[in-house]
Amino acid sequence: MALVEIRDVHKTFGKVEVLKGVSLDVEEGEIVTIIGRSGSGKSTLLRCINALESVDSGDIRVEGQKVHAGMPDLKKFRQRVGIVFQAFNLFPHLKVERNITLAPLLTGRIDKAKARALAEDVLTRVGLADKIDAWPEQLSGGQQQRVAIARCLAMSPHLMLFDEVTSALDPELVGEVLKVMEAMAKQGMTMILVTHEMGFARNVANRIVFMHQGRVWEQGPPAKLFANPETPELASFIASAK
Amino acid sequence: MNFLPLWRYQNQLIDGAIVTLELTVISALAGLLIGIAGAVVLKGRIVPLRFLVRFYIELFRNTPSLIQIFIVFFVLPSFGLKLPAFEAAAVALSLYFGAYSVEIIRAGLDSIPRSQVEAGQCLGLSGWQVFRHIILPPALRNAYPAVTSQFVLLLLGTSLASQVAADELFHVAGFIESRTYRSFEVYAVICAVYFAMAMSFKALFAVVGLAAFRWPRRR
Repeated sequence: MALVEIRDVHKTFGKVEVLKGVSLDVEEGEIVTIIGRSGSGKSTLLRCINALESVDSGDIRVEGQKVHAGMPDLKKFRQRVGIVFQAFNLFPHLKVERNITLAPLLTGRIDKAKARALAEDVLTRVGLADKIDAWPEQLSGGQQQRVAIARCLAMSPHLMLFDEVTSALDPELVGEVLKVMEAMAKQGMTMILVTHEMGFARNVANRIVFMHQGRVWEQGPPAKLFANPETPELASFIASAK
Repeated sequence: MNFLPLWRYQNQLIDGAIVTLELTVISALAGLLIGIAGAVVLKGRIVPLRFLVRFYIELFRNTPSLIQIFIVFFVLPSFGLKLPAFEAAAVALSLYFGAYSVEIIRAGLDSIPRSQVEAGQCLGLSGWQVFRHIILPPALRNAYPAVTSQFVLLLLGTSLASQVAADELFHVAGFIESRTYRSFEVYAVICAVYFAMAMSFKALFAVVGLAAFRWPRRR
């Protein structure tokens, strides 16, 4: 059984059908990168996997559990599925340590005595142990994004979703975030990424999924997809991304 | 100009100022609770409750505060609720302050981006935890300047309670003036006391604001 099973998912906003029957499986430990033009439904699909959006029809299951906004143990489910956003979304009124330990403390995963040690541990993993007492506003964009990743890691998720996490960063800050994600990939974390970083997708992902017009248009190993795209849409996308 | 005749009334003036402060603080605290509750209702999904809160806001923001005090003091006894002057003024001023606070706090809540709420939800927090730990602190910071301005207006507005003979500062001034016939001196002193209290509160709020909202503002 795949960790994530997506079957014929449809999603409409107003009169616009954003997802038109998406089906996709993600195995445990797999790194799947979703690429495609703006408006192809990539981010909406990620939001549906985390129940931030409800699907109109179709079925999403994570670890065998059907996902929808009204699921009874939604809070517990979200503790297992971390999501990192393009805009970091750190809490500006909380220092880095509190940003990381707020959810583990409030959900009872750890007690106060272990909170700082947990923050130090996950910050070390993203290379920011020295920023534990900083305010988010005192950090660069890349550092804020790494703290956002650390905040997710503190919940020990089984699956991580990344929604264009480098798109809002200056070019010189992109590398530091990708490095952290690469390290997570090596440690076996199951990851689904929406990204425009083609180099990262090519080097780190096990599989590339190309979405076009609300559908999974083409998918396969990065080497094959980049070298021999089967559809003119993917060929055109790869050419424009170069 | 002769201020000396007022000297013998210094105790009454101090008592009046204390009553004014009590009336202000009690009304502001109660009004603030009304404001937070009302703002939560306005952001909620229960339409009849939202309509009720909206009606309350419009009613109290579009009628004179003096009439609101009169209704609580003179009209409610007809329905079996008889309140002394201070309590009647406190109730009316709380409702008045609450009506403004609802809108101020609602605007503060609206100023928090939806993405912050989603970030909290995605970490597995409950609706209450997201509100209490993620939305409320920055919302209060954004609402704080307007709330403190409204507080000073409330402080000055407590003088209306003199019309139902609550023993606050302005009522005491009327009494002293009737005894001394020193209108200018009495009202000059009262003015200075109100001014001093208002400025003191502003300074206090500035210090409290710095201590309570220490995180740096977004660049």
